[in-house]
Amino acid sequence: MNEKHLSSQFDSDLNNISSQLMAMGGLVETQVHRAIAALAGFSATLAAEVIETDDQVDNMEVTIDRALTSIIALRQPTARDLRLLLAISKITTNLERVGDETHKIARMVKSIVESGGARNMPIGDLRVATDLAADLIHRALDAFARLDVSAAIVIMKEDDLIDREFKGFTRKLITYMVEDPRAISDSLNLLFLAKAVERIGDHAKNIAEFIIYIVKGTDVRHSSLTQVETALQEP
Amino acid sequence: MSRFLFLFAFMLIGAGLFGAVFSAPLGTNWGLLAGGLAGALVWLVREDRQGRRLLDWLSALKKTPVSDAAAIASPARLSFFWREFAEHAERVLRLHHRALQKQRLRTENLIDALQATPNGIIMLDARRRIQWMNTFACLHFALDAERDIGQSITHLLRDPVFVAGLVRQEFCKPILLTSPCSTPRQPMRLSLQLCPYGKNRLLLLSQEITHIEKAEAGQRAFIANVSHELRTPLTVLAGFIETLQTLPLDEEERQDYLARMERQALQMQTLVADLLTLSCLEESPPPDFTQWSPIRGLLTVCAAEARAFAGLIAKNAQAKAHQIHFPADAGLGEIAGNARELQSAFSNLVHNAIRHTPPGSRVDVYWQHNEDGSATLTVQDNGPGIAPEHLSRLTERFYRVDPGRSRESGGTGLGLSIVKHVLQRHGAALEIDSAPGQGARFSATFPKSGIRH
Repeated sequence: MNEKHLSSQFDSDLNNISSQLMAMGGLVETQVHRAIAALAGFSATLAAEVIETDDQVDNMEVTIDRALTSIIALRQPTARDLRLLLAISKITTNLERVGDETHKIARMVKSIVESGGARNMPIGDLRVATDLAADLIHRALDAFARLDVSAAIVIMKEDDLIDREFKGFTRKLITYMVEDPRAISDSLNLLFLAKAVERIGDHAKNIAEFIIYIVKGTDVRHSSLTQVETALQEP
Repeated sequence: MSRFLFLFAFMLIGAGLFGAVFSAPLGTNWGLLAGGLAGALVWLVREDRQGRRLLDWLSALKKTPVSDAAAIASPARLSFFWREFAEHAERVLRLHHRALQKQRLRTENLIDALQATPNGIIMLDARRRIQWMNTFACLHFALDAERDIGQSITHLLRDPVFVAGLVRQEFCKPILLTSPCSTPRQPMRLSLQLCPYGKNRLLLLSQEITHIEKAEAGQRAFIANVSHELRTPLTVLAGFIETLQTLPLDEEERQDYLARMERQALQMQTLVADLLTLSCLEESPPPDFTQWSPIRGLLTVCAAEARAFAGLIAKNAQAKAHQIHFPADAGLGEIAGNARELQSAFSNLVHNAIRHTPPGSRVDVYWQHNEDGSATLTVQDNGPGIAPEHLSRLTERFYRVDPGRSRESGGTGLGLSIVKHVLQRHGAALEIDSAPGQGARFSATFPKSGIRH
């Protein structure tokens, strides 16, 4: 993001929109942390805070999209600038979805607290996955700020870890359901919760893919890691 | 010497030589002229070569690093005017070089000082991009000191609280936030301060306050605990007083109530005494290690106290008293330090064993001299033992394995804290060894320097 253009106004436009995206990323990160804390401590107040702040995330998405439209219309960017703007648009969408997932987690925590159930369910086992998800989102945004391709590849690799945790957790929930049919409704709630966490990891991975798109110009979505690595080795 | 004198001399020599040789075919005047011109030409060639040498030197200087002092030496084989020129240039260059070195040294010193401060420092330019940061800032914010130069700070430090503070230019209020490197196991809380300097620039200072916040939380928990511990007996006391005031009671009932009230008052008394002991231990200067006390004496007092205590418990519970065994041999040597503190620690350990085992249990106290010169006091019981999850927290203030039972038996929850404090002050280590159903062993090992025979 440090390349100079003939129009310094364009430069500052690009910088501004990146800053807006990072601000949105920061807010989403806090939302993730708050949702995790709410889940760990069964805090209804924290959950309510997450639900309240979600509107702010949505508003930021709209603002960034509007700014993007006007930049593209005014400047008609090409090459790397165009890729950057397109990627920002997609990353915004992904961040907004992460916001939605935290909203979902918060709602679930609230209902668990209110119903009083699910406390004897294996919520502690989600801890690894939630911390990993928060970490991935953080590192994905760092990698975007630095346009760091190698960090992006690491993130894509680590998303598999969350998927594995999620599978393990599902298996555990199934044993709970088999043992005691009364635990089924709580287990289903927890399953949705775990799914939300897993989705956060997926969104982090998507952001990482867009970083590679900006820097290298190759679209690495829907391709395996080995394909990505070979594609990147080509000059 | 002027260059024209040189030119003149060359022309004269040329004219003299040429004039002699060429005056015959060309005539004297033409011969002299041709000789003069030839002399001028030789001069010109020579001048050009010297000038070229100087230029080469200067252009080579342009490419060498500033720090290379040897490159400044001017080229040899220059004469008169060019020599002087080169020497002047060299002197000026050397002066500048020296000033630059001094400046550089000063900057390096400054940077070293900034690196050495235990706080994070980030310098931000007018557009809030990172210009420079020290190692602690990198550690606090997970930044890379080389790669992240020139990055907007808000791109990497995205916490909305910080961004809002930066936008609002909050220069007086510290911003508190959790570090990006913080993990649930190793939390890191930071206090950030923005200071404006120079032309619209900002200094971002960060300080780790994890331990401060932890200490504050500990303080709050301690006060809450003390209030709770005092409130329980007070409530009971108030209840009995009210009963005595309002209900007509016969003498026997009155005596019973008064006895219970006494027990509660005693409980509060012990708690306050323990709290005072603890705060004394924290405040007072380190124990005097030139004072030696016989271990035998300490253990004798401890044994008398323990038996009295066990007897009291047995009487209250109407059960068999504990069997308490102390070492019998007379020569145990001496221990250095504050006798009163040590006495209190020993007694607390033994009382603890009596209090947390059912009546009739066995409590053994050993004193053992180790091979390396240190000595160990061991208190072993055959009670119910302690579950492993409690072991690491036993010495925390007011930590109780079984809150109800401990208070019932007159424990304050401070006994082991006092023991730990005393042992720490005497350079000793407390080791707790236990498993459920297998009794517990508390051993305090005193260093060699504090033991003599």
